[in-house]
Amino acid sequence: MPRFKTGLMNGLIDGKGFDTTLVLLSLGYLLVFSAFPLIFNLIMSFQQVDLFSLAQLVRPFVGWDNYRDVLTRPESWPIFLNTVKFVGISLLAQVSVGFALALFFQQSFPGATFLRGLFLAGWIMPALVVGAVWSWVLAGDYGVLNYGLQSLGLVRDKIFWLSDPAWTLYAVIIANVWLGIPFNMILLSVGLAGIPDDLYEAAKMDGATCLQRFTTITLPMMRAQLGAVISLGTIFTLQQFDLFAALTQGGPANASNVFQYWSWQLSFENYEIGQGSVISMLMILFVILVAVVYVRSTRHEQAS
Amino acid sequence: MNPLKIMFLSALGLSGSWTMAHSAPVELDLWTIDQPGEYHYVMAREFDQQHADITINVRTVQFRDVVNDLARAVATGNGPDVTYIDNPDMALFAPRHLLLDLAPYVRKSDIVDIDRIFPGPLASVRFDDSLYGLPRGSNTLALYYNADMFEAAGLDPDQPPTTWEQLYQYAKALTDSSENVYGLAFSAINSEEGTFQFLPWVQMGGGDYNNIATPGAKRALTLWTRLIEEGLASRDTLIRSQYESTGTFNAGNAAMAISGPWELPRMSEEADFNYRVAMLPVPEKKAKRASALGEGVNTILANTRYPKEAFEFLEFMHANMDRVWNEFGMLPASRVEVKDPNFPQAYAVFDESMKYARTRGPTPEWQKISQTIQQAVQSALTGQVEPAVALENAQLKIDRILD
Amino acid sequence: MSIKRIILLALALVFVSIYLFPLYWMYITAMKGSTGIFAYPPSFWPEHPQLAIIEVWQRHDMGRYLFNSLLIAGGTTLIVTVMGSGCAYVLSRLRNRWMDVVLFAVLMMQVLPSSLMITPLFVSFEQVGLTDYPRTAVILAQAAKMLPLFIVLVRATFLQVPRELEQAALIDGNSRLGAFLRIMVPLARNGILVSSVLIFLQSFGEYVYSRSLISERALQPATVGLQSFMGPNSSDWSGVMTYAAIYVTPILIVFVLLQRQIVSGLTSGALK
Repeated sequence: MPRFKTGLMNGLIDGKGFDTTLVLLSLGYLLVFSAFPLIFNLIMSFQQVDLFSLAQLVRPFVGWDNYRDVLTRPESWPIFLNTVKFVGISLLAQVSVGFALALFFQQSFPGATFLRGLFLAGWIMPALVVGAVWSWVLAGDYGVLNYGLQSLGLVRDKIFWLSDPAWTLYAVIIANVWLGIPFNMILLSVGLAGIPDDLYEAAKMDGATCLQRFTTITLPMMRAQLGAVISLGTIFTLQQFDLFAALTQGGPANASNVFQYWSWQLSFENYEIGQGSVISMLMILFVILVAVVYVRSTRHEQAS
Repeated sequence: MNPLKIMFLSALGLSGSWTMAHSAPVELDLWTIDQPGEYHYVMAREFDQQHADITINVRTVQFRDVVNDLARAVATGNGPDVTYIDNPDMALFAPRHLLLDLAPYVRKSDIVDIDRIFPGPLASVRFDDSLYGLPRGSNTLALYYNADMFEAAGLDPDQPPTTWEQLYQYAKALTDSSENVYGLAFSAINSEEGTFQFLPWVQMGGGDYNNIATPGAKRALTLWTRLIEEGLASRDTLIRSQYESTGTFNAGNAAMAISGPWELPRMSEEADFNYRVAMLPVPEKKAKRASALGEGVNTILANTRYPKEAFEFLEFMHANMDRVWNEFGMLPASRVEVKDPNFPQAYAVFDESMKYARTRGPTPEWQKISQTIQQAVQSALTGQVEPAVALENAQLKIDRILD
Repeated sequence: MSIKRIILLALALVFVSIYLFPLYWMYITAMKGSTGIFAYPPSFWPEHPQLAIIEVWQRHDMGRYLFNSLLIAGGTTLIVTVMGSGCAYVLSRLRNRWMDVVLFAVLMMQVLPSSLMITPLFVSFEQVGLTDYPRTAVILAQAAKMLPLFIVLVRATFLQVPRELEQAALIDGNSRLGAFLRIMVPLARNGILVSSVLIFLQSFGEYVYSRSLISERALQPATVGLQSFMGPNSSDWSGVMTYAAIYVTPILIVFVLLQRQIVSGLTSGALK
């Protein structure tokens, strides 16, 4: 960190003071308000912490004990796999549906922009309400989804979306994709709107097909936006907590449990706070991976 | 309230204001899970009115945040003077001397007689010779049943099931999948409520939280598994809270439901059938009864500046125990006479059940054990593990936790 | 041509109605008794619709809660937009190892969910006395949570603005700051506005920080007030849904109209 600072100081002397100030303002703010909790959690993952020493920093260090304890529990591997599935499928679905909807609403027809705006509803409804409504939609006996599927003749027996271990994770994914769509769609819409029309017209004149225009103009021009929504989407998905609390509580028997919910259960239900911090540190590994990919992907921006 | 008590309480109030007259006014901070208009707000207001020099500042904390918020407040030195604590969480605070030992105060008190407190609630506040709180009220479990459905199925509504086997037979007779009616609704959710519902079955079967793999407990879990597997109870029992499960009972989609007295206001308004309440069925005739113990405790934090005044407030609340049923929907935690109880039939059953209500724990490791029990129940109900094996595995884990 | 437009509109209506079903269900549940929730087959229109808007509004003093929510969301959005735009701009223009590090750090800063950030934040806020200004404390904490999101999003928008325009402005004699404010910000306003809207909406729904940092009822936002319907053993769902409907509806209308301005009205112009 100190070297980093001197680097920026040199930049300041080089006459890039304007840039440096703008960056430092935000970075400084983040370091004050976000870095401290991060380090606090990191330290806790190596300490023996209980409910009543949670608010202090001086606690007995236990080395890698917490890590060993958590990682040798039989449930840790299935929960890890669930987390990967949850993030992967959610992301794939919400980016592709969001992108498809953004492209769809990009076409001109009456009410297009108004109808697109209605998708913001997913972001405005309070988490408590979203969770409750989805729990009623997905309920096995009185759920609307089963009612619809049965009325349409698509299924014969009711599916217990939330309590059948084979379905439960996917049920939470459905609700999470619903939540993620507006974010992806609105932001990708902004990106699409930023692509100059003459590019498309030129391509049309050259006789490019719809698909060709998409792959040669839309995708490359949307690179930065896609990188942004994918990396942020990953982080959001990794923080999705309310839906698990409202729909399945991670059950039945951990069938739908993921790291973020497990970490909360350990820290705030079982009061195994050191162990809960271990899980949150493992989640950071996910994000490091995403951040590295994202930062690397921004290199190409320069080239294009 | 009888006239004698009013006189006594106002005398108490007078003496209180007299002793405080020449000192600075006392402010007591009270943390509660109640909302304005509910128990603690009403108690605080009435106490305030009788004590000119004591002001009580009430703050609502969400039920699930109480322990975390209290622990943090205690650590940063900002704790309240008086607080609500859920009964199984008492064991977290008691051994750390964070709560004021009320035993010396109670010995001198004319109002509190701990021998009148039911054994279950008392066990949640008494640790060795110390007394760390006074139960503010209680709740427990019973069996609600739809008498109309009983009649339609040819069962006698005056003879609700009394044994586990009978419960199973009744559930079978009452299930009607073509009408979307299940025989029984209960909760095996992956949260404290799931343990709250299952533990009494373990205790009736001769076990307890630290002895979970008894033959009786295995029988209970096998019965639960059969109820789910044979479609006598919904698979969604695993994700429904008690209130949701009973909601399906109110809607006519379940013929019986296991839940507590908090259901009564909604049920009386929304269930358009004849419902009644019975005690929880026991393993076999004449077996020992057990029931769950819910609700919390009024406690004083050890570092309060005003232990005397805080205890006066606790005494005041305890003296109003006869009001908790009709006004606040809680069962009295001690033997008091409730005049003209609301829902008299239900009250009689719940009041009787209170004699058998047993606390969860007490152990400071309660939360971990509770989670272990929920996991065991859920893995059996989903058919992933045999009920007996699930409980044996749970026992191994619990032994490690308690070690 | 017009047939195509009609088909598109019809499709759009289908998509929107599928997507908005949960919103519809929120309104319907607000009008049902709580037992109606558990009925099968589900009723898509309540038999005796009853909407206790005025009762819920008054009994829960929603005006005050909503004012606090607006204050917190507005304050957060202001801080984030002012600070984040500059940072995002620089990150979109400069490429070197340090900027990689900054970008990486910015992403890492929002990795922890609020529920895990709150304890250390609470403790440190208490140390410096910030807990005496609880709404400010929530704004500061929430701004830190939202800033990385804003920077990453707006950075992508700045990238779409051609460098030549900025260069031209500098040659015209603008200072760096002048070029940034007069040329770059207006050209990226779509992205900035949309991102600010998302930040505003997220902060309007903020719950974890508010419930921990604001103990005084009069200062709490609507999300915390909503919890008063949830008891330890019972929950008043039609109350929850009524309360939610009261606050979701006006915001939804405002932002649907606003995003229409943002995404459609302003797009054309400068970029071409």
